[in-house]
Amino acid sequence: MTPFSARSVNYDWGLVWDNRDMFWWGLVTALQVSAVALVLSMVFGMLLALGRMGRRPGSILAAAYINIFRGIPALVSVIWVYFGWSLLVGYNFSTFQAGVIALTLLYSAFFAEIFRSALTALSLGQNEAGLALGMSSGRVFFSVKLPQATKIAIPNIGNMFIGMVKDTSVFTVIGLVEIVRVTQNLNATYFQPFVLFTTAAIIYVVLAFVLDFMFRTLEKTLSTPTNGFFATLLTSRRSTRINKLIEVHGDS
Amino acid sequence: MVCALCKISAPTEQIGVSVATNAVTDSTLGEVKVELRDVRKTFGTNEVLHGINLTVSKGEHVVLFGPSGSGKSTILRSINLLEVPTSGSVKFNGVEYGPGDPTEESVIRGRPLELRRSIGMVFQQFNLFPHLTAIHNIALPLRSVKKMSRRDAEEKAAQSLRDVGLLQWSGSFPAQMSGGQQQRVAIARALSLDPEVMLFDEPTSALDPELVGEVLSVMRRLATMGMTMVVVTHELGFAREVGDHNVFMEEGRIVETGGRGFFESCSHPRTQAFMGSVL
Ligand SMILES: Nc1ncnc2c1ncn2[C@@H]1O[C@H](COP(=O)(O)OP(=O)(O)OP(=O)(O)O)[C@@H](O)[C@H]1O
Ligand SMILES: [Mg+2]
Repeated sequence: MTPFSARSVNYDWGLVWDNRDMFWWGLVTALQVSAVALVLSMVFGMLLALGRMGRRPGSILAAAYINIFRGIPALVSVIWVYFGWSLLVGYNFSTFQAGVIALTLLYSAFFAEIFRSALTALSLGQNEAGLALGMSSGRVFFSVKLPQATKIAIPNIGNMFIGMVKDTSVFTVIGLVEIVRVTQNLNATYFQPFVLFTTAAIIYVVLAFVLDFMFRTLEKTLSTPTNGFFATLLTSRRSTRINKLIEVHGDS
Repeated sequence: MVCALCKISAPTEQIGVSVATNAVTDSTLGEVKVELRDVRKTFGTNEVLHGINLTVSKGEHVVLFGPSGSGKSTILRSINLLEVPTSGSVKFNGVEYGPGDPTEESVIRGRPLELRRSIGMVFQQFNLFPHLTAIHNIALPLRSVKKMSRRDAEEKAAQSLRDVGLLQWSGSFPAQMSGGQQQRVAIARALSLDPEVMLFDEPTSALDPELVGEVLSVMRRLATMGMTMVVVTHELGFAREVGDHNVFMEEGRIVETGGRGFFESCSHPRTQAFMGSVL
């Protein structure tokens, strides 16, 4: 292999390492937008789920929202928010804000369906047991139903989050400097599309693996009976307290 | 005596004290706790209770029995308003919680939440909270309803578990316990809130036969201590033993009632037919 032919093929992988900071910040931006949107979508999604399961007209409005917004692609959503909303409300959203809003609008609809099915999976008896004990329905929701429903929903939440991170890639159109925008910028300078976009693809794939692993660990940690390293760690103080109570009361 | 249940009856024990306040004493005998008057319940267009009258006095043990679908659970659930009657009066300690008696002009009205805080209920399917340990199944309502601190709630929960012989299981989750143990936790959970009346809806029907005994013995102990109880059960042996007031119902109506010895003396042909089929 002569240096000549190597130059003509010209795969400059060193380029990636040299620009690792830019890729890193693109990744961080994508994760930040997704994470903020995840929290907001979960809150709105839960409210939509409750609305949908409740009385009319709330249930009809919630159903309408869900059916409309889960059909809109992220690309349309973000252009609509960044350019359209800005005109409408007379405020220029930053690319970060527009990305968060665009994802939240769409994913609230998905989370609503996820939470609704998780809440319906709980037996009616859970609610009744709480009420029969004299707990308020709000307290029953937060201490009895929400923890159980969240646990059921975690695998789906993980999948949604991976989807959200991938969807940030289209936010390059509004100029959000996420992974794709970073790649495009570098490509404009170096014209190394194969190297640069392979790198981008690898970043997304590795990220999906890591996130999947994290959500699996979370699922395991929250499962009952207590299971796994983190769960044991997190519940060790509780176990100590219980064992002490058993000891104290066992003697009498 | 190593039997933890025996401790309940000892007046020096904490739970003994709390329950003893509900015990039958001469001065309180006959005081009306729960009163249902002409209670009707309709699901859709289907009326399943056709005007039920039932009085439960302090310390009394009422046993409801009858064929499946006759409305036993619906009556029980009307008492703590898990089911709101379509019409009729549901009174607890003289306070009206139901739709009310149209002939009665002015009554004190109460909120369902307050009613439920004085009435405990045990379900056929236990309904423990699966994400919480046994001790926290009991501590959660203590914190939420009695506004106890975590420490006090866990302390009291441990005592309640000890009283049903399950202290060692404090840190276990419902899925790790047998049905009989779960039901005993459920009973301990209801009792820890110091209810004035306990409702039992077929508490042993979901249990394997060999586990029925341990739950019945907790209930028997409770009855001996003078707890006011309304029990739906197919365990006629138990009913015969504790039932002060036996109510046989069919198709949403009370067919026949009687006191002790009811199972020998019942005269209505429907009651006798049912007895024959169960015994
Ligand atoms: N939520 C409900 N919606 C519609 N119908 C109901 C509902 N709950 C009970 N019913 C009906 O009311 C009637 C009485 O039911 P209930 O559960 O009180 O009977 P039960 O005597 O407790 O029977 P079982 O021994 O099977 O528990 C039944 O015909 C039942 O189908
Ligand atoms: Mg029933």
